[in-house]
Amino acid sequence: MTDNAEATNPETVTIEVDGRELEVPKGSMLIEATDNADIHVPRFCYHRKLSVVANCRMCLVDVEKAPKPLPACATPVAEGMKVRTRSERALKAQKGVMEFLLINHPLDCPICDQGGECELQDLALGYGRGVSRFTERKRAVEDEDLGPLISTEMTRCIHCTRCVRFLEEVAGTRELAALNRGEHTEIGTYVGAGVHSEMSGNIIDLCPVGALTSKPYRFSARSWEMLSHPSVSAHDCVGSNLQIHHVRGAIKRIVPRDNESVNECWIADRDRFAYEGVYSGERLQAPMVRDDSGAWQETDWETALEVAGEHLKGVVTREGGDALGTLVGPTATIEEMYLAGRLTRGLGSANIDARLREADFSDQDRSGTFPALGIELEALDGVEAALLVGSEPRWDQPIVNHRLRKAALQGGAIMSLNYRAQDLNYPLAAERVAAPADMVAEFAAVAAALLETATGRQAPEGLDDLLAGAQVGEAHRAMAARLRDNARTAVLLGQGVQAHPRGAVLRMLGTLVADLSDSRFGILTDGPNQAGAWLAGAVPHRDAGGQPASQPGLDARAMTEAPRQGYLVLGAEPERDCWDGAAAEAALRQAASVVCLTAFVTDAMREYAQVLLPVGTFGETAGTYVSAEGRWQSFPGVAQPVGEARPAWKVLRVLGNVLELDGFEYDAPDAITDELAERCREETPSARVEWLAPGREAAAEDGLYRVGLVPIYGGDALVRRAPALQRTRHATEQGVRISAATAQQQGLADADRVQVQQGGHSTVLPLIIDDALADGAVWVPAGLTATAGLGPMFGPVALARA
Amino acid sequence: MNEQRLSERVLTQEQRKQIDHWLSKFPQEGKRSALIPALHIAQDGNGGYLTNELMDAVAEYIGIEPTWAYEAATFYSMFDTQPVGRHKVNICTNIACMLMGSDDIVAHCEKRLGIKLGETTADNRITLKIEEECLAGCAFGPMMVVDGHYHTQLTPEKVDEILDNLE
Amino acid sequence: MTAVRDFFRTFFLWELLLGLKLTGRNLFARKVTVQYPDERGPQSPRFRGLHALRRYPNGEERCIACKLCEAVCPALAITIDSEQREDGTRRTTRYDIDLFKCIYCGFCEESCPVDSIVETRIFEYHMENRGENIITKDQLLAIGDKYEQQIARDRAMDAPFR
Repeated sequence: MTDNAEATNPETVTIEVDGRELEVPKGSMLIEATDNADIHVPRFCYHRKLSVVANCRMCLVDVEKAPKPLPACATPVAEGMKVRTRSERALKAQKGVMEFLLINHPLDCPICDQGGECELQDLALGYGRGVSRFTERKRAVEDEDLGPLISTEMTRCIHCTRCVRFLEEVAGTRELAALNRGEHTEIGTYVGAGVHSEMSGNIIDLCPVGALTSKPYRFSARSWEMLSHPSVSAHDCVGSNLQIHHVRGAIKRIVPRDNESVNECWIADRDRFAYEGVYSGERLQAPMVRDDSGAWQETDWETALEVAGEHLKGVVTREGGDALGTLVGPTATIEEMYLAGRLTRGLGSANIDARLREADFSDQDRSGTFPALGIELEALDGVEAALLVGSEPRWDQPIVNHRLRKAALQGGAIMSLNYRAQDLNYPLAAERVAAPADMVAEFAAVAAALLETATGRQAPEGLDDLLAGAQVGEAHRAMAARLRDNARTAVLLGQGVQAHPRGAVLRMLGTLVADLSDSRFGILTDGPNQAGAWLAGAVPHRDAGGQPASQPGLDARAMTEAPRQGYLVLGAEPERDCWDGAAAEAALRQAASVVCLTAFVTDAMREYAQVLLPVGTFGETAGTYVSAEGRWQSFPGVAQPVGEARPAWKVLRVLGNVLELDGFEYDAPDAITDELAERCREETPSARVEWLAPGREAAAEDGLYRVGLVPIYGGDALVRRAPALQRTRHATEQGVRISAATAQQQGLADADRVQVQQGGHSTVLPLIIDDALADGAVWVPAGLTATAGLGPMFGPVALARA
Repeated sequence: MNEQRLSERVLTQEQRKQIDHWLSKFPQEGKRSALIPALHIAQDGNGGYLTNELMDAVAEYIGIEPTWAYEAATFYSMFDTQPVGRHKVNICTNIACMLMGSDDIVAHCEKRLGIKLGETTADNRITLKIEEECLAGCAFGPMMVVDGHYHTQLTPEKVDEILDNLE
Repeated sequence: MTAVRDFFRTFFLWELLLGLKLTGRNLFARKVTVQYPDERGPQSPRFRGLHALRRYPNGEERCIACKLCEAVCPALAITIDSEQREDGTRRTTRYDIDLFKCIYCGFCEESCPVDSIVETRIFEYHMENRGENIITKDQLLAIGDKYEQQIARDRAMDAPFR
């Protein structure tokens, strides 16, 4: 570009920094220009994702014609500006600021977890004096307990307020405040309320000093001794990019890896702290088989694999291939799913399913390639309207919620149709709360409202049956109008649709609503790899590569309701991970042969399994996850597997050899990935479900109905065993929730604890009166130890005073 | 959770009306601006200091996060978060007054009342506020503010008279 | 002529006497051989021998698990694991030094901010079994406890030069 062109470009200005000419966007701050040009300006309070406050004064630079040095983070660029970042005046100013910052900063670097990666330490080396001139006493600040995740040492705080701004601007919960004034300034909650944001861990990364550090990581390693490897989150369908830090093969902590199109530079607490589960006491240390008397014996891999092979082979020879069922857990990689699928099919069975928490599979042959998000994560930032159906992204996919929040703050209309009122950190444009039985009618009413104004569109056959007499109300029309009248819109279905007994109809309605309003349609799926399951052949109706299977097998629900003789369980705890945990456990108990590839061993597993094979967890296994966006993200196995555990793909590979199946000669996981990727080349992500006239459902019986969704820290085996996460309010404040009216009606208004009865199973849980819920709906979370023995996630339930 | 809203329980109807008056002066997105007058209203109704509950109530009533209220209440010296005496005596100790001898005035007050800055007399009559910053009376230093009234060009005798007249 | 002179020198054992002259001189000179282990040479207070971990006078171990010694060790002889002790302080759970790897450079001692890891005057030690070359935290603390007086005296003597 010539000088002339630069001068005439109205969007940019030309400035000179340290003798270099830079062309920078108009209105940007000086520090953005220098950062982009790789000119380092020291800073503490400035962060590119947060608002500018210019309160640390470390970024003072020398601007020509300015009477005093100016803070680069708060000085907008201007045409012809001449800036010197390393001139004597700039350096003197920076050194002065540094001296003031160090006045009250303790000299406890040797015991500080930030030591070695501390921005203050680094800059003190460059800008600090060797010896302090300050001889007075340093101030001390009392620490505050911010909860089980964040450790505080507030004396070290330099009041950059990055944490305060993050919680306010990104997490949307202004839990921290800058209290008092001047020298007495402290960061805290004032009332000792703690920090409870589901993204709170990011303030650990943001803190430039050691004031806020990770509690689980506390004092366990030093930054310089850790090796860092890339990884991908195993807890939601976003696929947040992570960096695993480990020492001698032991995972010490997880930090975010920047990826603007996925997680930006943030991760959820679940992604950050779930690694603790890897070193849980419940890890299976060595392969185990039952001896002749039925007692468990530890054994070597060779024997265990032989026995496992005999069991699987035995079942299919005795009872036929259909007697074998394979249940795949939520965190399995596509490589594991692919091998498990080929192994199962190789044994003559087509019964394999990874959709453990779904109930309605009747649309599986009409649906698109895989349950996809249908919209780029990055595009969620800018949606003008979005309808969330049965989805609570704040708890299920915190990063999706973060992006929707950005949209909402820019004026986007986020709407919700859910079983309970959303507890969100941004305002909703519209909200409908519906009992599970009314969900279909409510959603159908939105579709009907869209049809009212759609010219030339006939109501598809059977829509009236779905409405079941419900009237289209103003609320539905308002939702419909926002979807119709805006250009960038999305309809997103969540966990509450996937687990709904009429999920197929809801997905079909979702497709219809999206079509009528010209919106993007997507599903926020359970687990990190639901999309991968459809592509890798870990579903009964699709072969690897997403091709329809010639001989569809039984789905996950059918496999538990019509018990099989043999089960291969891959990385799942069926009693907690299945839609109907009780039925799953009963099915496994009656089976003659259950082979579990599992990282953790539970008491239930010890009772129903015949062979237990220890496999690697998150961090220990190489593999690939396909996010709901359809993004393939591979990661290496980093940590040393605990005990005798081996990556599951290796176990399945050798099991394939033991069973004398063809094509199990892989040396590395990428060989499997490449083979599968080759077969998936043609597939484009789509969650669309073609319309098929639904029949009229019998009217639901009156009575209490369970809504059993998985809470934020209950989704998979690893999270359930992460002690710090389980001590957070989100995990401890779990119980049965009903509305005050329901409680009144059931005579439970004053009960503390209730007995939950479901299909002959019962458990006692604390009762929480929560008017966010629809009347008649009983919120009993799934995936928890306390609710493991209960029946379906959605179904009739009875409550009794305990 | 069918309990009464905190602000309805803690703030009187009159106080809420006064806060409404201030809220009406600001646009919806700037309603945080009503925080300081609202805190004053709450403090005046509570014997000169704010409790956590009052701050929560004010924040709830205005519709902002309670941490905003804590910040404002702890930042400004005209708000107290601990019980105070019936009268608040704020002696300016900033540079202009200091040059005119505010240190002597402070020492005199401390001696006369038998308390240090930041303390309250045993009979709960007077609180000497600590670290009072410039009160914009620089031309007439040393000066102090007693219960919102300015007293300028202080001398120990003048201070005695003012203090003695406080109930 | 030379041959004649050489003959007489040999005949009268002249070379032998020349050699014996040195022997004789040393026979009466002051002896320098030290009868180790009964006698020992002098040692500098800066002597760098076997390592020890020190304690404070109140019995609290000094080491705070900052891992600077581990980082500075050029032979990678030190291995440390750390955690938060119940009282909230930063402590080691493991402090191993591989004496076969150690080159006794003293960097660990130089880097220690709390004067915890020190090199003592001890140089006579041996191992009998495989694995004994790894000296553990308990052993290091025991050495420190046993020789604390001498360690403290040596540090004090060297202090003016630091």
